[in-house]
Amino acid sequence: MKIYRDMLLSIRDESRKGKIVLTRIQQKVNVPFDRLKIYLSELHELGLIQDGSSPKLTEKGRQYITEYEKVIDFMKRMGLTY
Amino acid sequence: MNNLGLILVEAISAALAFTLARFMLRPYEYTGESRYIGLPLGFFSLGVSYVFMGVALSFSDPLIIERMKWLQLFTGSYAFAFLATTYYFSSKPPKRNTILFLQTLLSILVLGMVISSLIVFVPPAFALPSYKTVDEYFRLLNTILALYITLYTLRYHALKPDPKTILAPLGYALLAFSQYSFLIWSLDSSFSAFIGAHIIRLASLLVFLLVSYRAFITPQTAIHENSDPE
Repeated sequence: MKIYRDMLLSIRDESRKGKIVLTRIQQKVNVPFDRLKIYLSELHELGLIQDGSSPKLTEKGRQYITEYEKVIDFMKRMGLTY
Repeated sequence: MNNLGLILVEAISAALAFTLARFMLRPYEYTGESRYIGLPLGFFSLGVSYVFMGVALSFSDPLIIERMKWLQLFTGSYAFAFLATTYYFSSKPPKRNTILFLQTLLSILVLGMVISSLIVFVPPAFALPSYKTVDEYFRLLNTILALYITLYTLRYHALKPDPKTILAPLGYALLAFSQYSFLIWSLDSSFSAFIGAHIIRLASLLVFLLVSYRAFITPQTAIHENSDPE
């Protein structure tokens, strides 16, 4: 789950810079490239990213990140380490 | 405060606790890590304990009252045990042995809660100690566990001071003080301690509700940091 979130955040951050480069996402998430492709495929199956050589977040993916960040904020407020 | 007033207080407390349990489930839902399951279990058990006390106050049959009070005692203490377990394992790195230990502990707690609840309905061959005595020990245990969580969350806040993180230690401190007030009432029959315990308990639940509201309901700017203050 953390990997998914890190990948989604990386895709969001990269999309703000312009073209999404998979190697930059791979460096940020720190997984082998073949593993990255598998995770991208899983994220696409979950409907969180669009398919293609340059993955983009779907609306569902953006909502997931927003909710996830709310949960992290909540955990921080509750004094839980994550 | 007559019985109706007390029943109302227990009902409100239960409603708050169950609402909080729903919010407390989100960390486990979104992270998938079993170390956070104790949080919703704890608040749910608290809610259940308030329901049992409310039921005990609603009936006049001595047998029902006694059974409900014992159930309230057990579920209340297990609630604090679940919460303390969550915070204890929260800071531990998720290694295989740690996860195994956590899952074993949670299983034992759940099993213990089921067995102790069964004992209420199917008394064992040996005589149970008096409710009053057990209540005092359990209140003391609850106070200690709540204080542990208070210190844990206070330390979390102190390591990286942030206005957002001060409410959780306040909430748990109030919960600890509430348990202490119940203990005083049990030992001393102090009416003010009894009333104070209920008020402080409601206050603590409202504090946690405020934390949940600010995290989930209040619109906020995107949060990027999730760094561990340790």
